[in-house]
Amino acid sequence: MTCTLGEVKNRADFIVYWGGNPAECHPRHFTKYALMPKSQFLPRGRKDRTMVLVDIRETKSVKASDVFLQVRPGKDFELITVLRAMIKDQPISEAQIAETGLSVEQLQDFVARMKAARFGVFFFGMGLSMTRGKHMNSAALLTLAAEMNAFTKFVAMPMRGHGNVTGADVIMRWQTGYPFGISFNRGYPRYNPGEFSTVDVLVRGDTDCAFIIGADPGATMPKPAIEHLKRVPTIVLDPHVTHTSKMARVHITTAPAGISAPGTAYRMDEIPLPLRPALESPYPSDEEVVRRIKETILKKPDWMGERPQMLTTQV
Amino acid sequence: MDLKVIDNATCTFCGCVCDDIQLHADENRIHQAKKACVLGKAWFLNHTAERKYPDALIDGKEATLDEAIEAAAEHLYQADMPLVYGMSNTTCEAQRECVEMADHLGALLDSHTSL
Ligand code: SF4
Repeated sequence: MTCTLGEVKNRADFIVYWGGNPAECHPRHFTKYALMPKSQFLPRGRKDRTMVLVDIRETKSVKASDVFLQVRPGKDFELITVLRAMIKDQPISEAQIAETGLSVEQLQDFVARMKAARFGVFFFGMGLSMTRGKHMNSAALLTLAAEMNAFTKFVAMPMRGHGNVTGADVIMRWQTGYPFGISFNRGYPRYNPGEFSTVDVLVRGDTDCAFIIGADPGATMPKPAIEHLKRVPTIVLDPHVTHTSKMARVHITTAPAGISAPGTAYRMDEIPLPLRPALESPYPSDEEVVRRIKETILKKPDWMGERPQMLTTQV
Repeated sequence: MDLKVIDNATCTFCGCVCDDIQLHADENRIHQAKKACVLGKAWFLNHTAERKYPDALIDGKEATLDEAIEAAAEHLYQADMPLVYGMSNTTCEAQRECVEMADHLGALLDSHTSL
């Protein structure tokens, strides 16, 4: 259950940021979409909105919040579960509340505010989705948002970072039916994060050639994954010579998207926006290079069904 | 030196994807990015149109684009279980090409989201 940032801007009077630091990671989120804008429904802008920040530590975003709830690290799931019970007036023990690091009063106040809202929204960041519990945390928060709709309008939206990751999800969903963690090795797409997600694949050593575009795993991934990238032929497309390029067999410099390559990028609420490049680049765009590599591959004889569609020996 | 002004340019540095940026640019670099935040400004102003890096590198040595495309295609073609990964800092058009290529290769396909 989600919405666009346009709806948030015009209607949301109760904003919760959970496990994120928008003041530093999404600097214009407050001013452009979520807190400051005035609208027909919120004529006084910031004064008509309430912002609650849920995080494990005090970040710069705290200053922008009305209420700050400092949850104990790793207890997001417990907190969400307690809240889910509290909105339905189900009994909760004091020990269960104490475990979250917050007081009964704080939670009662939070629940009252949620219920009093006309349009509430949860923005959740990596502090929720990448810590203990991972996607179970996100799922729990989505459930809480769904259950809040018994009382008022509530939605949830992930705070995506990293340029066009949202676009990658959308394009893969459109083409394959799945957003990430896909294998085509049987000739049709299969989805299994954990098995087909890159970190796991690399750590297990389950690939014998890596094609990396618009990412720098050499700087971000755990060591065993990087070691594997060094063992197999790696191909990198990037506007810069990155950490990964340095361990790659092939690096191709491409024009940076949005600066000198045109195209489309998706905003975090899945609104596609055109890019308006300002510079001419001496390098080709990613799109052109990938298309040429693909065409070169297509000229080679088709082997689908002849070769083993798996690794016969571990690299 | 002509200064170009581009209205409503799009910043893709973070998920906000602000599309109201005004860029002032000459042939070589962007001089101003109005309305962008600190992160966006740094991103726009840090890029130039200069040829800072070689077109391509094969095994660490400079190569032409054509050679590199050939080498990349050969590595991918020879592999039994290639992996196509990343796709965050690029356009949807390039992402679409990646998906098609992965499909033809019988490859693994994954983005930053799975991290
Ligand atoms: S201008 Fe700032 S807030 Fe807007 S997309 Fe760029 S980095 Fe994000």
